[in-house]
Amino acid sequence: MKNLITAAFAATLLLGTSLSASALERGGTLTYARYADSLFLDPVLNDANVDIWILSNLYDTLLLPTDDGKGVQPGLASDYKLADDGKSVALTLRDGIKFSDGSPITAADVAWSLKRAARKDNGIWGFMIESIDDVTVDGDNKVTVKLKHPDPAILAALTVFNTGIMPQKAFEASAGATEAEKAKSFAEHPIGSGPFVLKSWDRGSSMKLVRNEHYWAKGEDGKALPYLDGINFELIPDDATRILKLSSGELDGAEFIPYSRVAELKSAANLDMQLYPSTRVQYLTLNVRPQIGGKDNPLANPKVRQAMNYALNKQAIVQIVTHGVGTPQTSYMSTATPMHTGDKPLYPYDIAKAKALMKEAGFENGFSTSLLVLAGNQDQLGISTAAQQMWSQIGIKLELQQVDNPTLTKQYREGTFMMRNAAWTDDIADPSEITSYFVYSKTIDALHSGWKNEEADALFEASQKEIDPKKRAEQYAKMQEIYNTSGPTVPLFETPYPVALNKKVHGFLQIPLGNNIFSKTWKDK
Amino acid sequence: MPLFSFVIRRLLQMIPTVIFILIVTFVLVRMLPGDPASAMLGDRARDADVNRINHELGLDRPLIVQFFYFAERIATGDLGNSIGLKVSVLSLIMDRLPVTLMLTALSAVIALALAVPLAFVAAFKREKLADSVIRGTFQVGLSMPVFYVGIILLTVFAAQLKLFPVGGYGTTLPDKLYHLFLPALTLALSFSAVLMRNLRASIINVMNAEYVDFATAKGLKSRVILLRHILRNALISTVTLFGLQIGTLFGGAVITETVFAVPGAGRLLIDSIYGRDYPVLQGLTISLAILVSLTFLLTDIIQAWLDPRIAR
Repeated sequence: MKNLITAAFAATLLLGTSLSASALERGGTLTYARYADSLFLDPVLNDANVDIWILSNLYDTLLLPTDDGKGVQPGLASDYKLADDGKSVALTLRDGIKFSDGSPITAADVAWSLKRAARKDNGIWGFMIESIDDVTVDGDNKVTVKLKHPDPAILAALTVFNTGIMPQKAFEASAGATEAEKAKSFAEHPIGSGPFVLKSWDRGSSMKLVRNEHYWAKGEDGKALPYLDGINFELIPDDATRILKLSSGELDGAEFIPYSRVAELKSAANLDMQLYPSTRVQYLTLNVRPQIGGKDNPLANPKVRQAMNYALNKQAIVQIVTHGVGTPQTSYMSTATPMHTGDKPLYPYDIAKAKALMKEAGFENGFSTSLLVLAGNQDQLGISTAAQQMWSQIGIKLELQQVDNPTLTKQYREGTFMMRNAAWTDDIADPSEITSYFVYSKTIDALHSGWKNEEADALFEASQKEIDPKKRAEQYAKMQEIYNTSGPTVPLFETPYPVALNKKVHGFLQIPLGNNIFSKTWKDK
Repeated sequence: MPLFSFVIRRLLQMIPTVIFILIVTFVLVRMLPGDPASAMLGDRARDADVNRINHELGLDRPLIVQFFYFAERIATGDLGNSIGLKVSVLSLIMDRLPVTLMLTALSAVIALALAVPLAFVAAFKREKLADSVIRGTFQVGLSMPVFYVGIILLTVFAAQLKLFPVGGYGTTLPDKLYHLFLPALTLALSFSAVLMRNLRASIINVMNAEYVDFATAKGLKSRVILLRHILRNALISTVTLFGLQIGTLFGGAVITETVFAVPGAGRLLIDSIYGRDYPVLQGLTISLAILVSLTFLLTDIIQAWLDPRIAR
C-alpha cells in the first residue's frame, strides 16, 4: 500500500512537471484563501501552523525538504557534508545569494541565525536543534555546525522553518530595546531570502506577498523563480464561504476543504480537488495513570485499552468522519513519516476479542468514563459520537465533554482528563519529533497520558545519537511495536491535506509536513 | 436647558458603569479555565515554555498587582499589546471596530428602511391580506438563524446572480459599502422584524388615542397627523427597543463577520476568547461597553426630544 501511494505520488509529480513544461506561463497574482490568519512571522518565536506553513515562502533555509517530505535537498547551501563521527556538518553557501533587500547573505548571518534558533529559552522549537553546540564561520561562504553529540536528525532539522536564515544587521537595527521587541518589529516587515516578500498585511483580512527579485532558484525556463508576480492570501474562516468564493472564480485556491465536500468539488468542471499526502494523524489520547482524582482508573489497564481499540470500527469512522478520504492508521506515526513501519491497520474491528479482553481485565460489566471534545469541531464530534455508540457494546458508558481549546489544554496539561481527541502533524522529516511527544516520557509525559515504558525511553535516547540509519530504523521499529501494542492512544486515521485549486493553477504543492510551496506555482492567463 | 443638563447627568452616570465593567471584565477573563500561554502553544507546550511565557506576561504575579498595573495603563489610554498577535491592542481595535460599526450602522439603516414604511402599511391595513403577508414574511426572517440566512443570500445573490462579491471587505468607502450590503441585510432581516412588529403595535395604539381623533376633528391634514402625531408618539417605544437591540446586533455581527469574511471586531473578540488573549479581550469589552452605553445615551436623548417630559 505504501509503495502504491509513493508510486501514485511520483506519477502525479511527473505528470505535473510534464504538463508544466508544455505551457509554462510567468506572471500574475494567485489569490489563495486560508482558514486562519498568521500570527507572528518570526521563524524562531512563532508557535502555530498558521505561521509555520507559510514561513518557508519568506525565509529560506540552508537545506530544503524533498517534495515527498522524507528527504533533504540543497537550499541556500549548495553543498553539505555530515562528518563521519556525526558530530559536525560542513556547509557551503551558494555563490551570490542575497536577502530580499538586496544585501548579501553572509556566513556570519547564517551562524547568527542558527545560534539564535538554538538558544535555550528562545521560542519553543529549540528542541529540534538542541544538539547544536556552536556554529563557526570558516571563510566567506563556509560554515560548520558543531554538535554536542552525533545527531541523526540534524540535516532534516536544517530544513525546518526555525532554522530560516535572517539578516543579522537588519534584525539588530529593528526598532525596540530588547531582542523580543526587535523581533516584533522585524516580523512586521520581514527580510528573508525565500521566493516571496511580504508586501502588506491587513491582519484578519488579507496578506499580500510579491516575488523576491533576488531569489536564487531557477525555473524550468532557466530564469529565476518564482513564476508568480505575487500571492494574495485572503482570510475566509467559514468553509462554505471559502468554497462559494472558489466556485464563483473569485479565488484561485482554498485550503482546508471539509471532507464532506471533497467528492462534490472533485466533479466540479473548473476545479482541481487535490489531496496532498500528509503526516497528519487523528487519535484519542487516554490518561493511563492508576488513579485520577482519587479514583481508580480502568484505562490504566493495557488490556482495557486493547479492548477499546478492537471495539472501534476505524473503517466505519473513516467513512463517517472523512467520507472515505482518510485511511486507518498502521502505526502511531503516519505512513509519510520516515522509518514508519506497519503495513496493515492497527487493531482490526473484533467485538468478540474486545469483550474477551474486558472480561480478562475484570471489567466484564464495563465502566463509565469521559472524552474531551473541542467545541465546534465537527470531526471530533463525529468521532466521539461514533466511539460512544461502539464502546457501549463492551459496556463502556462514555460521556462527551465539549470544551474550548484552552480549557481542554488545561485539563490535558494537568493530567486530570480521562480521554481527549487530538491530531498531530510532523514539522520535520524525521520520526524523532512525534516520538519524543508520543512515546518518550520525559518530554510531556507521553502526551500527558502518564504512560511510561523504560525500554521505549532507552530506545529513544539511543536513537537520538544513532547515526547508522539501519540501526536507527531497527530502534524505531521496536519503539513502534511497543507503543502500538501497549501505548496510551487509540489510533484512528491519517488524512491528506484537502486543497481545491482553480484548473488554471499549476505546480502548487503542500508537502506532507504542511509547508505550502508556491515557488513553482503558475497560472494560465 | 433641561436637555443639556440631562445629557451631562447621563454622561456622569456612565463613569461608574465603565469602572464597574473594567473590574468585571478583568476578573471574568481570568476566571476562564486555561491561560494565554497554553492557549497559544497548544498541545505541544512544555511546562518550561508555558511558565516562561506566563512569567514574561506578568501572569504569575498576584491578581491584585496585575489589576493595578492594568488600571494604571488604562488610565493613560494604554490597552497593552495583544499576546497572540504581538501588536498594540489599541491599533487592533481602531482597525477592526470601525468595520463592525459600519456593518451595524448599515444594517440599522436597512432595518429601519424596511421596518418603518411596512409597519405603517401593516397598521393601516390591519388584519387584511397586506398585514398578514408583511407579518408572515418578517416572521420567517426572524425565525431563521443568522448564519443560515447569510449562506442563502451569499449563494443566491453573490455566487449565482453575481450581484455582490462573495464575502470580503473593500478598500474605498463605496466598495466597502458594496461588500457590506449582504452581511448588513442578513443582520437587518431579523432586526427589522422585531422593530416592525413593535412599531406596528404602537401605531395601532396611537391611532386609537383621543388626541388623534381630536386632530382629525380639528381638520388637520392626514400627512400632518401621520408625521406629527402618530409617528412621533409611536416611535418612542421603538427607539427604546432599537437602543436595546443594538447590543444584540453586535452579537449577530460576530457570526455574520465569520460567514462573510468581514475583518471586524466580532471575529477579533471570538479569537481573543479562544486564545485567552486577555489584553485584546479586555480592550474590546471595554470599547464595546462604552459604545453600548453611548447608544443608550443617544436613545435617551432622542426619546427626550420626542417626548420632552422624559428629560425633566
